[in-house]
Amino acid sequence: MTMRRRDFLRALGASGLAATGLGAAAARAQDAAPGGAAQGEPLGVTNVPMDQGAYRQVRLPPKPGATRSMTRDEQNELERMLRCQCGCTLDIYTCRTTDFSCQVSPALHRDITAMVEGGHPAEAIVEAMVGAYGERMLMAPTKEGFNLAGWIAPFAAIGTGAVVLTALLRRWRQRAAAVAAGAPVRAPAVLEATHEEMERLERAVRGEGR
Amino acid sequence: MILIGELSLWVALLMAAWSATVSYAGGALGRRELVASGERGMYATTVLVVLASIGLWTALLTHDFSFAYVASNTSRNMPAVYVFSAFWGGQAGSLLFWCLILALYAAVTLWTNRVRNRVLMPYVTGTLAIVLIFFLATMLFGANPYERVEWVPVDGRGMNPQLQNPGMALHPPNLYLGYVATAIPFAFAIAALVTRKLDNEWLGAVRRWSLVTWLFLTIGIVLGMWWAYVELGWGGYWAWDPVENSSFLPWLTCTAFLHSIMIQEKRGMLRKWNVTLVVTTFLLAILGTFITRSGIIESVHAFAQSPIGNWFAGFLVVAIAATAYLVTTRLKDLEATATLESMLSREAAFLYNNLLLVGIAFSVLWGTLFPILSEAVRGEKITVGAPFFNAVNIPLGLGLLALTGIGPLIAWRRASVANLKRQFAVPVFAGLALGAALVALGMRDFYALVAYTLAGFVTATIVQEFWKGIGARRRMHGENPAVAFVRLVARNRRRYGGYIVHAGIVMMFAAFAGLAFREEFDVSLRPGESFEATDPYGHEWRFVNQGVSYFEALNRQVVAVALDTYRDGKRLGVLSSERRQHVDSRGLPQFEPSTEVGIIETAKQDTYLVLAGVTGDDGEVAEIRITFNPLVVWVWLGGALMAIGGLIVMWPQAERRRAEGGYAAALRPAAPAGETVPA
Repeated sequence: MTMRRRDFLRALGASGLAATGLGAAAARAQDAAPGGAAQGEPLGVTNVPMDQGAYRQVRLPPKPGATRSMTRDEQNELERMLRCQCGCTLDIYTCRTTDFSCQVSPALHRDITAMVEGGHPAEAIVEAMVGAYGERMLMAPTKEGFNLAGWIAPFAAIGTGAVVLTALLRRWRQRAAAVAAGAPVRAPAVLEATHEEMERLERAVRGEGR
Repeated sequence: MILIGELSLWVALLMAAWSATVSYAGGALGRRELVASGERGMYATTVLVVLASIGLWTALLTHDFSFAYVASNTSRNMPAVYVFSAFWGGQAGSLLFWCLILALYAAVTLWTNRVRNRVLMPYVTGTLAIVLIFFLATMLFGANPYERVEWVPVDGRGMNPQLQNPGMALHPPNLYLGYVATAIPFAFAIAALVTRKLDNEWLGAVRRWSLVTWLFLTIGIVLGMWWAYVELGWGGYWAWDPVENSSFLPWLTCTAFLHSIMIQEKRGMLRKWNVTLVVTTFLLAILGTFITRSGIIESVHAFAQSPIGNWFAGFLVVAIAATAYLVTTRLKDLEATATLESMLSREAAFLYNNLLLVGIAFSVLWGTLFPILSEAVRGEKITVGAPFFNAVNIPLGLGLLALTGIGPLIAWRRASVANLKRQFAVPVFAGLALGAALVALGMRDFYALVAYTLAGFVTATIVQEFWKGIGARRRMHGENPAVAFVRLVARNRRRYGGYIVHAGIVMMFAAFAGLAFREEFDVSLRPGESFEATDPYGHEWRFVNQGVSYFEALNRQVVAVALDTYRDGKRLGVLSSERRQHVDSRGLPQFEPSTEVGIIETAKQDTYLVLAGVTGDDGEVAEIRITFNPLVVWVWLGGALMAIGGLIVMWPQAERRRAEGGYAAALRPAAPAGETVPA
């Protein structure tokens, strides 16, 4: 059985859309997306029904006489800091350059490209994206407010652990020094050893089993 | 057979309940006949779970689509091996797989302890039976693999094509083998706590099971990384996804335990800590399962959101409460008079190693759960992705790498300055020399430089240890180097197997550091067009598009691109990548399209091709991504070496030698200041 290339592509596209539940609305959104948001469109967010309703158009009005605010490599780096909203958990750059079926990351890329070409710096683009999608747009939490706890807690926990461990080791060393000096050691009042431990100890003292 | 299997599950639940009840009662009342009945009940449960598993496999392999599980996870045109692996490919089947492994592990535990540990065994049996009851009940009432459909479809939906990969056929069973093995040390820990027999004896029983956990988790994690790399097509192998993190967490605490257990064996210290690590490892395995199955955290790996997440949450709460009660009421029994002769001792190094391992586990757990915490506190959903985990864990990981080299060089109890100089001189020099050479060659990435310097240091420590050991054998026995090497490892498997594991770790760190030099290119190519790029080593590459092709295979429609590939003007062959749309036996599309990447793998780097899409009116423009991924093959080789080292450590050794390595050393007196006590 053979299939013409165009039919194949059509089938592939249709099945992909069916699988992701995008349907006709997604196709419309895709058709409209490249130039759909005309330059000069008012600042704000337009909901476009796409994969799980994930994509929302984000645009900033271009600056007068604007040129690209960053190189393509810098834009790629920026896209690595922002998360694709299709549910893949990847950043926009990685998702759009590797995931054939994702409709969200190419749309997000188009938005970012429009803002870059509109002369907007990275900070403004990030702010606009976060404004539209919330902080989950960022691949890592900001280092401010409650999020600071997220960044500090691991180091604080390990630092505290290191302090406690060092204190514990010092205490154990002092105890060893006291034993060596023949001083009384703070030990449990009752000798707590199992019968088996006592037998082992006795064998060891007698020099057996070495 | 299928009906027998279905019925067996219900009987297994009742039998496990019997086993748990009479085992605990037998232990508490001191009635041997009840204990024996509990053990027989566990053996019977094992047989029943095996029957239930055979039943499901029969349903899968005979394409009995009257079962929802078979219809949802297989289709008639799937290769037989993936029909077989569909057993653990879905929610309900994987729960039965858990039960199967747990029941078999329990039977092995009971059999190998039919003479030993008799005081503990009633509670070990009872605890394992309780865990089994939980999994059986969750499966039967929450996700039953024997659930039937109202009408029988002609064909099934098939398996997600991304799971139709050898790595994915092997990765989950290895992880499950590792996860489930955590239940055995946990059961022994509970038994030791209940009976208050908290000496070193129970640790001896659990050490090998902890190694089983560690070994299978290691293999499972590395296979998962390999699968992600070759199948998901995003160019990496670890994304700090919550489900990946879930498998890493028990690995970290288990690794910490395998180090700290040595301190208890040698010095009788750390009783509380070791019990805590054993229990924590099991609870983290359950937590990981909860994360995977509840849908509570967004993950590409997660099973569909289902109510069984609540079952796991409930079990987790009960298990934490029960173990917390047992530990807190037995603190006095866990007391040990700890002493430390010197901060410069292997005990201290191992404890700092434990601190870092547990610290990394905490940071991974914290990062994984922080989105939930943030949403609860602020009502704001956030993402904690790779930038966070890398920022936090890279410095900690490098500290751990340093301790991997430092720990084995320091003597137990006390190391003298002369000893330290003798042991550290060559490795430190080797590490610094490597670092300096890399700087001279132009390497400037800070973390990569630190990683390679430490890798050089640790490698030198391992080589030095083998060199000394082989030299000693040659002097004493006149053996040739190869024989001396084999016998050195064979006679002290724990020590030298451990060094082999460390060598694997070094390989992995070296490969991870290589990611700093990764280069990616996004290219659109028409047929006949070419693209040229320079890789991180300075080689000139040229890729010529041979065209986009469209064809149908067994169970898929394929679009592929082929690139004629040249390095420094020399033709290497054709590198191709595919996008696949899987179809069922009626030709209907199933699932989303998947990627087959093209890889040229060498020791220095992988050249990695992904067909990201096809554009143009004629469908001839290939949108591709080419990535130069340095040193990736060393991740797989490092993983294999870790597994080999783990097997060597696990391999049984004569009782006499173990006794010499354990208790005799434990009672050796401390050396006077300035002298070294040999390990």
